[in-house]
Amino acid sequence: MTEAAVDINGVEKRFGDLVAVRNLDLRVEPGEFFSIIGPSGCGKTTTLRMIAGFEDPTAGRISVGGRDMTGVRPYRRPVNTVFQSYALFPHLDVFENVAFGLREAKVGKAEIRTRVGEAVTLVQLQGRERSRPRQLSGGQQQRVALARALVNRPEVLLLDEPLGALDLKLRTDMQTQLKDLQRSVGVTFCYVTHDQGEAFSMSDRVAVMNHGLLEQVGTPEEIYHRPASSFVADFVGTANRFAGTVDGVEADRYSVAVDGVGPRTAGGPAGLAVGTTVQVLVRPENLQLETDGGSADRDATVVDTAFLGAERTVRLHSPKLGELTATARGSGKAPEAGSRVRLSWSDEDAWLIPAADRSQP
Amino acid sequence: MNVRRHPFAAGLSLLVLLFLWLPLIGVAVNSFNRQTIMAGWGGFTTHWYGLALHDQNVRTGLETTLEIAVASALLSLAIAVSGALWWRRASPRARAVYDGLIYARIILPEVVSATALFFLFLKIHFTLGLTAIVIGHTVWNSAYAAIIVQARMAGLDPALEEAAADLGATPWRTFRRVTFAALLPAIIAAGLLAFTFSFDDVVTSVFLQGASNTPLPVVILGMIRFRITPEINAIGLLVMLFTVTLMSIAVLIYATAGSLGRSGRRGNMLDIYRGR
Repeated sequence: MTEAAVDINGVEKRFGDLVAVRNLDLRVEPGEFFSIIGPSGCGKTTTLRMIAGFEDPTAGRISVGGRDMTGVRPYRRPVNTVFQSYALFPHLDVFENVAFGLREAKVGKAEIRTRVGEAVTLVQLQGRERSRPRQLSGGQQQRVALARALVNRPEVLLLDEPLGALDLKLRTDMQTQLKDLQRSVGVTFCYVTHDQGEAFSMSDRVAVMNHGLLEQVGTPEEIYHRPASSFVADFVGTANRFAGTVDGVEADRYSVAVDGVGPRTAGGPAGLAVGTTVQVLVRPENLQLETDGGSADRDATVVDTAFLGAERTVRLHSPKLGELTATARGSGKAPEAGSRVRLSWSDEDAWLIPAADRSQP
Repeated sequence: MNVRRHPFAAGLSLLVLLFLWLPLIGVAVNSFNRQTIMAGWGGFTTHWYGLALHDQNVRTGLETTLEIAVASALLSLAIAVSGALWWRRASPRARAVYDGLIYARIILPEVVSATALFFLFLKIHFTLGLTAIVIGHTVWNSAYAAIIVQARMAGLDPALEEAAADLGATPWRTFRRVTFAALLPAIIAAGLLAFTFSFDDVVTSVFLQGASNTPLPVVILGMIRFRITPEINAIGLLVMLFTVTLMSIAVLIYATAGSLGRSGRRGNMLDIYRGR
């Protein structure tokens, strides 16, 4: 087994009475684009800062590239950080900002020139070497911060919401560029954001945190379609959840009695016992609407519809299932507000979440 | 009706300006006046400058003043910078006390702090002299320096120092390459300001000089008590030009230093000329 790029083992971090991170175990593989997502205050930034060495874990151990980082100061760690505020040195120009780490590492003059040149080219800032940070746009500053970190060839690059200060269009462009960059340099990226879309579009794997606890780790597809908790289900997208009870287990599927609907089957995590109270998750794009008649127990009323270009969001009210959201392709006729529709979903698209999970209050 | 446009206000302003500037213009003009009693214009001469520059009292006074001013400026900077570094990590309560002490040193009349130090030094048998004057000047000089340095420190993004550490800089290297570099304009400005304040001080110097050499402003005071000669005008003009130049440099450095870190992309005039 290869060494993990980052190995977090039973880490806890307290600030006085506040527990920012509790009992965290995470393993980031070499060369991986790994993201940690969660709402503000969930402990994701604290985790990143502990990897960088700006905070010391109250308990537990962090290793980078197989080496224990306990007691190792930030300037001795084989990691580099891209800060949310970029933290570019205002009194130094672009070249000197990028060269900062190399000068600290006592790299020779000629090599500094070559490597800074490469890094500046990598982030497409040729010709701006002598500009001061304040003369650059937000996107350019962001790229300088990236070059300044990558030029040191860190084992792991830590990114703390690096796109947070950019406008939407630029952010989308930068997401593509970041992903390409990571593939081309092959450095392990550890990326923190509160934006699940951003994390999904770039990452190989995603960790979801809430209240200092790790909720789930997995590929974006796993996180989205097979969430481990209702918190994850809601955090990464719109979720329709129906109450139900497991009444049979067969291979990797469950049969479940959905309240107000009846017997269905659904996928779910291993180990759910018969009789477990569950929530049945159906994503809005998997909820089908039919305008012609139907059995009365599935009837829902359209509350309103919103046109979003490529798709259309339909809010529904069902006497049995409550408030629901469905999305449909933008083309075709939209169901009118007030009209009654028949709801359906295919069993392959349903996923079970244990109802008594820890993120439920 | 606009009060500012009222003839009375304009007249009063003019009077005040004349009152402030006429004596200074008089000093400048008379320093080149051949007539010793300065009753009228007796023709142009630079004789008084020669006299002033060769006056042993004046030369010793200038040397003494320079020694005091440099020492006091450096001491004030050391106090102000270390204070500002501590201030950032201090609790709000400790900060309030520290800030209060700074403003107290500025508000307190100089004659009070000078008298207090005078009695303190007598009590503890500390010999009055240059060291005593330096300490006396540093009491208020360090307060002015602290305000200037702290203002710049407040604009310093703590993430900059984390970034330096992240890039491999030890705490000492981080201080040198980031913290100190960012504070440098404020440190230079504060140093020049402290130097200037110390350079023209009379009150504290008179109280604490003891048997040591007399600083230049006190020398001048002694000379005019005795007799007013155009030589004093020459000294006055030189001192005036010197301090005004220093203050202008201080203000210029501080004003063009640019913002730090997080806020804004305010360019300066030079950037526009460079076509960026």
